[in-house]
Amino acid sequence: MSTTVEQERAVDVRGLRKVYGTGAVAFEALKGIDFHADAGEFVMLSGPSGSGKTTLLSILGCVLQPTEGVVSLFGRDVAAVREAELPAIRLGLIGFVFQGFNLIASLSAGENIALVLKLRGWSPRDAKREAASILASVGMGDKVDSLPRDLSGGQKQRVAIARAVAGRPPLLLADEPTANLDGHTGLQVTEMLKDLARAHGSTVVVVTHDNRIFHLADRRVHIEDGHIQETEQ
Amino acid sequence: MSTPLTPGVAPPRAMATLRSAPLMGLRTMVTVGARMMFHDKLKMIGTMVGVIFAVVLTNQQVGVFLGLLSKNTMFIDNAGAALWVVPAATQTLQAGKPLPMAALYAARTTPGVRWAEPLLFGGATMSLPTGGSEPVTLVGTKSPAWRGGPWNIVAGSVDALRAPDAMIFEDSERDKFGGLNIGSVREVNGHRTTVGGFTWGLLPFAPSYALADYDYARELMGTPSDQTSFVLVGLDTNADTAAVIRALQAKVGANQVLTTGAFRNRVLRYLLVSTGIGATTGTSSAFGLIVGLVIVSLSMFSAVVDNVREFGTLKALGARNRDLAVLLLVQSTLYGLMGSMIGLNQIAFISNAVRSPQMALVLPWQAYVATPALMVLLCALASLLALFRIRSLEPGMVFR
Repeated sequence: MSTTVEQERAVDVRGLRKVYGTGAVAFEALKGIDFHADAGEFVMLSGPSGSGKTTLLSILGCVLQPTEGVVSLFGRDVAAVREAELPAIRLGLIGFVFQGFNLIASLSAGENIALVLKLRGWSPRDAKREAASILASVGMGDKVDSLPRDLSGGQKQRVAIARAVAGRPPLLLADEPTANLDGHTGLQVTEMLKDLARAHGSTVVVVTHDNRIFHLADRRVHIEDGHIQETEQ
Repeated sequence: MSTPLTPGVAPPRAMATLRSAPLMGLRTMVTVGARMMFHDKLKMIGTMVGVIFAVVLTNQQVGVFLGLLSKNTMFIDNAGAALWVVPAATQTLQAGKPLPMAALYAARTTPGVRWAEPLLFGGATMSLPTGGSEPVTLVGTKSPAWRGGPWNIVAGSVDALRAPDAMIFEDSERDKFGGLNIGSVREVNGHRTTVGGFTWGLLPFAPSYALADYDYARELMGTPSDQTSFVLVGLDTNADTAAVIRALQAKVGANQVLTTGAFRNRVLRYLLVSTGIGATTGTSSAFGLIVGLVIVSLSMFSAVVDNVREFGTLKALGARNRDLAVLLLVQSTLYGLMGSMIGLNQIAFISNAVRSPQMALVLPWQAYVATPALMVLLCALASLLALFRIRSLEPGMVFR
């Protein structure tokens, strides 16, 4: 039974601790968290600033090493992986959506998406075609050649979402994706993220404290002071 | 396209084609590196100015240096001799200890020698119409072959030297000598001398060459008839140079028989080692490179700092440190090549603009090949600082 459950779990975190700094200035951001996300699930992490939700997201994204605990992505404990192997794991398993969009300013919308695909070994021609196709699916088909500076905040976040889902990574991590958007646009892009993830069968973990999008979550996990306080279905 | 990502990881869909095409990643980083570089045009121009500065300053110094060396060896190169017989311990092409005229006869009687002629070198002073005087390097050359010069005659002819009191002067020094023209009369070492023609560019690091018939020069310098300065030797077509040197050396005692190349190298070695020219020019060139290195280094570091979020994003998306090193290397190479091309173009322009007998920048083809290679290397070194910054960059910063 437990084996079946574990196989269905895209993310499985046990006893996770993260301490920043040492000695008198040490700060424990995560205090022994247990967390999971099932395959295809859309989970939101909410909580006040400094509660530890972004730290948890960073560890799930393999961009931050935990102090203690097990972090299993699709059955592999990534907390025990050598740092040199992490880029390949990030590239292969995870798509990121950032609060500040983080598009490469010198690359067009299409090139930002194609970049990730090319890093994954796609040929330039296939990557370009796929990028155009994904952009069209987020309603940005006419912005393939636009530079990020020529796009609005909502358009940038659509491109960022398109980049995150490019290549269909099984895990999507989004950090405050609506923070820089107005309410309507924020809702739109989150719905879009959910629809694309569902279509691709991806698991999504979203960090947010935007209560206007809470209803889109399959499950909401509230974190406070480094602990998981409650979980809502 | 079937390499598993990492053993044990079994994602729902196959993300199993990663890094299967290393060249693809390389090509991607080349493109991104170039695009990032050209996107921030102001910074690119600033960095490029650093490279151009280093190229122009270094090549200008090297060009002047080679020009100076050329001035000191031009006579040897243009004398048309295969061998030189020089007084013992001669280091430069200047009048020094006299050579016995017996060396000339020894050369003429050595098997394999086609011709041998004396060459007289010495200082002389020209009195000017204004009352002052100017020094010249007086060269006595033997008619009718006129071995050793003059060459590059731009007015008059060498035959003018057949006149009993004629000399050929340097064209670029005409004003300095009081407005010389063909037929002008001046007093040289107290003797009435008529201008028979002009050469262009016969201006060593010492006073300019003034060429006269050998006997007239000897008369002006008061050289005894059994002495000369050098003996120029031409060889038969099939002569064994080494054998001729051995035979002739055996006849001239402590005086030395040198090939033109050996004499040239001896002069160059003397200038480089025993004078401050080499050290001075070398230091200036090194400073040019160092300043360029610092400018490029700081510019590239600053570009990384300015774009630190983008580099962090690339890392978060899965780019490895070596991918980003390639990106920086691409930028370094582009900076080095583009800066070199513009800089060499500038130095070629400057070289033509300032070219004169007094100052000529000599840049051999090797400089045009070595400069881009050196600048690419310098820019790659300069990017190390930026690379260290990128290596220490935590991809987690993208969430902050």
